[in-house]
Amino acid sequence: MEYVSPEGLRLDGRRPMEMRQIRAEIGAVAKADGSAVFEMGNTKVIAAVYGPREVQHRSQQMSDQALVRCEYSMANFSTGDRMRKPKGDRRSTEISLVIRQTMEACILTHLMPRSQIDIFVQVLQADGGTRSACINAATLALADAGIPLRDLVTSCSAGYLNSTPLLDLNYVEDSAGGPDVTVGFLPKLDKVTLLQVQNLLNCVILGRFSALVVGKMDSKLPIDTFENVMQLAIEGCKAIANYIREILLENTKQLEYRRGL
Amino acid sequence: MGLPDASGDLSLEMEVDAFRRLFPLRFYERHLAESIRPDGRPLGSARETSIAPGAVASADGSALAKIGSTTMLAAIKMEVMTPTIELPDEGCIAVDFHMPPICSPIVRPGRPSEAVPVVSTTLSDSISSSGMINLKELSLVSGKAAWMAYLDIYCLDADGAPFDAALLSAVAACSHLQIPAVSLNDDGKIVVVSEEDGGKLDKEHVNREKRKLTLRSIPFSLTCILHKNYILADPTAQEESIMETVVTVVLDSSSHLISLYKPGRAVLASTSAVQDCIALTRQRVRELLKILDEANSSMEVDKV
Repeated sequence: MEYVSPEGLRLDGRRPMEMRQIRAEIGAVAKADGSAVFEMGNTKVIAAVYGPREVQHRSQQMSDQALVRCEYSMANFSTGDRMRKPKGDRRSTEISLVIRQTMEACILTHLMPRSQIDIFVQVLQADGGTRSACINAATLALADAGIPLRDLVTSCSAGYLNSTPLLDLNYVEDSAGGPDVTVGFLPKLDKVTLLQVQNLLNCVILGRFSALVVGKMDSKLPIDTFENVMQLAIEGCKAIANYIREILLENTKQLEYRRGL
Repeated sequence: MGLPDASGDLSLEMEVDAFRRLFPLRFYERHLAESIRPDGRPLGSARETSIAPGAVASADGSALAKIGSTTMLAAIKMEVMTPTIELPDEGCIAVDFHMPPICSPIVRPGRPSEAVPVVSTTLSDSISSSGMINLKELSLVSGKAAWMAYLDIYCLDADGAPFDAALLSAVAACSHLQIPAVSLNDDGKIVVVSEEDGGKLDKEHVNREKRKLTLRSIPFSLTCILHKNYILADPTAQEESIMETVVTVVLDSSSHLISLYKPGRAVLASTSAVQDCIALTRQRVRELLKILDEANSSMEVDKV
């Protein structure tokens, strides 16, 4: 199947290096300490942060830092076919873990000992890149809650189909079977915190990255192509970081205005 | 005995916020005596309500309903199933209500809130007993195929009266629902017709365009709090936690009573209190009908 036409257009009319339209909104859930809605194309995700608050299970309390908990769940109607088990399946548990570890790395947990920070993410519409949208929404929600962060975490995915690196895959491109690279990036510190590569059946990675996937060795993905794809994803993250900064700045201006400063 | 006086004296010196936190009931009663509530609403007035149909693009019918801060997202997905032997001409609706942990600080992951099964069953009952949807409209091939409509309602923000907002979003999603156009293919299976298909079409089932359901008596509800002699319509979460006695009345668009739900608690309701609640609900039904019509007509305008 052709994912990139000879003119260089993808299935939804985008160019290979073009991201989908992003839209974000802060403060969607009134009851939460911080919340945000993040849309990447048709993928729509809502995140809510509760905390820092008292730890629910005393046994898990840590005397020197805050406990970060995360739950990822998809709405029944979010995917094409109705999902029977939106939570508790392997994928959801894995993504919950990934988001938690990514956010935990950038929250200054040592400033809030003996407390708990809950990050809940709900996918309302899924069209590829849900992982990235969740991380972006969680960053905004944490910022809205006023939780001290080392840096914003932004995330974007990229892939490689029809010998072209593609930025921000949608569901169809994601299920095409080519490699899918998701990057979590800290823009100010210029560091990658999350790197997940999937569908590596057709690729072998050697050298710097210690990940080695054994699969069909029909075609190999040269290391520099993989680096291109990763670099593309990082560029996507930087673009999202700029957008998130704008949104946060606008939000702060609104708050100042409302308080009459 | 000294306590009530103590709080009385303190209230003169204390800040409003502190008084609200320490003596919430007295705070509210001070307001109720003036026939008003802390957010400025009169006792019988509901919060600002809005409906946004078509919130979820991938679902066959959806709507986002907001009453004050309480936000509910309802979406309907249609699947084909075999009807039961007893009712070969009817389809089926499955209503499911979810309160994910994002909606409220009290809801914990892994431990669903107590309100969830209650709202879920009363919602299911209200929708089926109101007769809003004619199940025969959901039939495709008698005895062989019928539509199963999965109605999922997610609470995105729980700020009091979840049932009202849930019912409103469910009703709005049903009125937004467009049944996909399908046809019978060679194997006797039902397939969804896409726009480009010009192929074999069964005359009986193909719809030139997707069709909508005809809704008959639409149910609307209002939750009220009973406290001493006062009746407060459409409580917020804070009001519900302080004054716990709740009454929910469900009426249909022609003001017939569909259901009435008062799950115990301290305050006993006299007949006149119940009648007052029903009267408030009747008024609310008129408001909600108007809001629903406006929302639907604005969707029509967008399509054109």
